[in-house]
Amino acid sequence: MTKLGARLCCYGVAASTAIRDRTAYAGNFSASMLTYGLFVFIFSRVWSGAYESQSTIAGYTRSMVVWYFIIAEITSFGFGRYFWNLARDVKSGQVAYLLARPYDFVGYHYAERVGGSFVDAAIILAEGLAIGLLLAGPLPAAVEGGSLMAGFGRAGLLALSLVLAGSLNFYLQFALALTAFWLEENDALYWIFQKFALIVGTLIPIEFLPEQAARAALWTPFPYLSYAPARIFVAFSWAEAGSLLARQAIWVVLAMLLARFVFALGSRRVALNGG
Amino acid sequence: MAAIVADRLSKAFTLRIRPKGRFSTLRGLFRPERRIVQAVKGASFSVNEGEVVAFLGPNGAGKSTTIKMLTGILQPSGGTASVLGLDPSRDRKRLAWSIGSVFGQKSQLWFHLPPADSFRLLGAIYELEPALLASRSGALIERFNIGELMDVPVRKLSLGQRIRCEIAASLLHAPKLLFLDEPTIGLDVVARKEIRALIEELNKSDGVTVFLTSHDMGDIEKICKRAIIIHHGEVVVDESMKALKHRALARKYLGVRYAKPVDMDLPGLLPIKRTELSARYEVDTNEHSLAAVVKALASRGELEDITIEDEPLENVIATIYASRSGAEASLFGEREARHD
Repeated sequence: MTKLGARLCCYGVAASTAIRDRTAYAGNFSASMLTYGLFVFIFSRVWSGAYESQSTIAGYTRSMVVWYFIIAEITSFGFGRYFWNLARDVKSGQVAYLLARPYDFVGYHYAERVGGSFVDAAIILAEGLAIGLLLAGPLPAAVEGGSLMAGFGRAGLLALSLVLAGSLNFYLQFALALTAFWLEENDALYWIFQKFALIVGTLIPIEFLPEQAARAALWTPFPYLSYAPARIFVAFSWAEAGSLLARQAIWVVLAMLLARFVFALGSRRVALNGG
Repeated sequence: MAAIVADRLSKAFTLRIRPKGRFSTLRGLFRPERRIVQAVKGASFSVNEGEVVAFLGPNGAGKSTTIKMLTGILQPSGGTASVLGLDPSRDRKRLAWSIGSVFGQKSQLWFHLPPADSFRLLGAIYELEPALLASRSGALIERFNIGELMDVPVRKLSLGQRIRCEIAASLLHAPKLLFLDEPTIGLDVVARKEIRALIEELNKSDGVTVFLTSHDMGDIEKICKRAIIIHHGEVVVDESMKALKHRALARKYLGVRYAKPVDMDLPGLLPIKRTELSARYEVDTNEHSLAAVVKALASRGELEDITIEDEPLENVIATIYASRSGAEASLFGEREARHD
């Protein structure tokens, strides 16, 4: 086996082990499924109220905005909780085991943690589609018409966009979590990150923000966590999807470099005194 | 050849201290006071290939910090270390191929999955070909007698079963050097005995160098040939178990029971414990001849029973631990050595 082959095999086994771990108990998913379902229901009611006197807001119909929320929340519920596990591993000293391995630390943990999240994301997506059909009606039509090509294109690019959103979420949360190498308490950083992610593109499409704020938001990574996949789903066009995916990919690369930089710096300053 | 060489290895941590007085919390936020804690102070020692060495010390002595520096997890503040010819602080990843580690209070096995899954993952991490992984797993499963546990979720294993699986997992990549940080902590007598036997066998049959920390004197006496004691971050004792045990031989515990009450006070030697018919003496053989003490006691009356015991190794080490500083502990060591 070549070095690259062995590494890819290791990442594959890491992802499949994480998936087995996630699926060890069906109950693992019940809390997030329940919360997600509740959120979608509450927001669909809120939007019903908001759309009572108008049929569109910033180009979105009620059905579009409910579908938007359903897809936008997949990143949070499916690819969401890396920070807590990573920060806990650093604070508890479990990182001693994780560091004493001959793998590429960032690459391995990406494979293990994002790989394991695919089950959560798939379950939440299936639940979202079911609830969406009940609460918001049929899927929103693609801007480019209802051709088979556009249908497959939308599904494929949505999947790609969700993977990129999950990757971006992982690298950003990884970089935040590893600040525990320096800080005794870094939860506040995650709290701030979470709130920005929620406001900029998750709760509402960024077109709903004031124009200046929406323009500024596009220069931050937050819209690419949830806005990009949701927008691709509710208003699919090849050109816009291509542009959003390209920008998502750039942010993933930047976030990966940031994560590697924080790890390189932090792992040389590990301060685990005590057993 | 030396498997481990530590040369004036030291590690300092900076702790934030909350200032005292009024508004201390607020002042602490803006002008925190810092205290440098010297966890390891210039520790120098070496371990030869194939040795089983006990690395001892009271809580907070710097044992785990030293192990973490030797495995490359922590960067030393000063001094150098060489492990299997590599500098752990620079070559952590390369070193990881040749060393194994078990931290008794942490786990490398996936909690909700059976050990077989963790073995498969570790095999992939250490890039073992499937056939090699299968043969190594098979051999370790047989040696550690864990065949029946391999498909049981780790959370359902007893602590002893889990530790057996942990050690087996750490050996999958056939490391030359094994760091065991309190591997028998929390285990019952039977499980401890099993783990000790396995470590001993591993060293004898495969020549694995073992660097062991433990608070269990049984582990140390049974498995290790040499002990390094670290105290307040300094190495205060580095000698063979034989020499360490010899320190204990200078002090004997002598117990007597008489048929009738007698005067049990001897000139210059009072009992440390007494009843109407029995007494227990602590005899420093450098000051009193044991034979003379026995003779004197026998002359006091009709003896029903007499017992002579060595001082437990635990007491010797406890005395070293009880020293207030590393220098004091060293002095204790020298003083004891002079008595020898």
